[in-house]
Amino acid sequence: MSSRALRITMIAIATVGLGVASYLTYVHYSGIPPLCSAGGSCLEVQSSVYSKLAGVPVALMGLIGYIAILASLLIPESEESRLATMVFTVAGFGFSAYLTYRELFSIHAVCEWCASSAVMMTILAGLAIWRFLRGEPLPPGALARMEAADSAAPSLPVAGS
Amino acid sequence: MSPTSGTDPDLTRKGRREQARSERKALEAAAAAQAARRRRMIQLGSVLGAVVVIVVVILVATSGGGSTAPSTGPTAKKEAATVSALLKGIPQSGNVLGNPNAPVTLQYFGDLECPICKEFTLGALPHVIEKYVRTGKLKIEYLSMETATREPETFRTQQIAAYAAGKQNLGWYFIETFYHEQGQEDSGYVTESYLQNIAQQVPGLNLPNWSAARNDPAFAEELKRDEQAVTQQGFTGTPSFLLGKTGGTLSKLENPSLEEPSDFESAINKLLA
Repeated sequence: MSSRALRITMIAIATVGLGVASYLTYVHYSGIPPLCSAGGSCLEVQSSVYSKLAGVPVALMGLIGYIAILASLLIPESEESRLATMVFTVAGFGFSAYLTYRELFSIHAVCEWCASSAVMMTILAGLAIWRFLRGEPLPPGALARMEAADSAAPSLPVAGS
Repeated sequence: MSPTSGTDPDLTRKGRREQARSERKALEAAAAAQAARRRRMIQLGSVLGAVVVIVVVILVATSGGGSTAPSTGPTAKKEAATVSALLKGIPQSGNVLGNPNAPVTLQYFGDLECPICKEFTLGALPHVIEKYVRTGKLKIEYLSMETATREPETFRTQQIAAYAAGKQNLGWYFIETFYHEQGQEDSGYVTESYLQNIAQQVPGLNLPNWSAARNDPAFAEELKRDEQAVTQQGFTGTPSFLLGKTGGTLSKLENPSLEEPSDFESAINKLLA
């Protein structure tokens, strides 16, 4: 996958995640029940004691997280920007893992919106780690030039032959 | 001497220098790439480690609501006094709280280890009891639904312990005291000594009779009936509620506020009107 395609894929996923987090934040502050096909599960999660952390709604934290991820993807690509994306997505993944644990083992209800956000954050974290570890993408044609150099190397004259 | 005989060795030397230079560059590039990769791996490891530590800290911090040990001493006395003040003078029969002829019935499906049920117990429920149950307008029937309790056997034991107190018409004291003193979820706090401790706080409970009643097979049957009701209604979480006129068909009370009594008040007022 090219660096550009990878970046565009991540921007697309982060944008959808931003939409989900925006909706959940809106629902939290407006007090309306979230649209949910699994009965009242979403409301149960949203109104539980775990819907806030240190007084801050977790939906708002998710919104801020997605904004940070998108910002790190939209700035010109560099070692630092890839590091920033990796840090934000891994932190988001850790937070999603914590919330999913609470849904499954403390609240005993699963909110579809939260679950979809957790899936997106997991994909983003995986892609960001991959992108970060592979580093600077090769410039166009570099691979062909390297292969040409490799094939030319044995034909060089060798002393004493 | 051929014209090329003098230049060939020069070209060879030049070629070798070029080759050596490109090899050196390739080695340097490989070393730089390896160093960068090592640096990235260290950075990734640091980030992963930091995130794991933060998540664990959050988990511990947000799990601190309850105690892992049964409440004893002044705290237990205070909780028992709160429960007594709430329930004193209200008739009980089995797992039903309130006047048996009350015009409206609320069925409350709960799990004694469910922290959200505790929210309800400390939030909306006392207002509903004071306003409607104490005045004889509403009766509340407690039914069991396993959600928070991980071990089915523990669930069965604790719920039957409450029903057994109900045999002495003191079941709601047991239920309320359990919720008030609920321990930390998944900590395995519900042991025999914990249940005994709760039972000892129920005013007027005959402990030998309570212990004997816990073996009554009728309660296991009652749990099965509760489970069938849960399946029939399609409930997915606790607490869940059915509300309606006594003797009539009860309907689901969807997503009421558990902290504020207003949703219960408006639904009950509608039935009383």
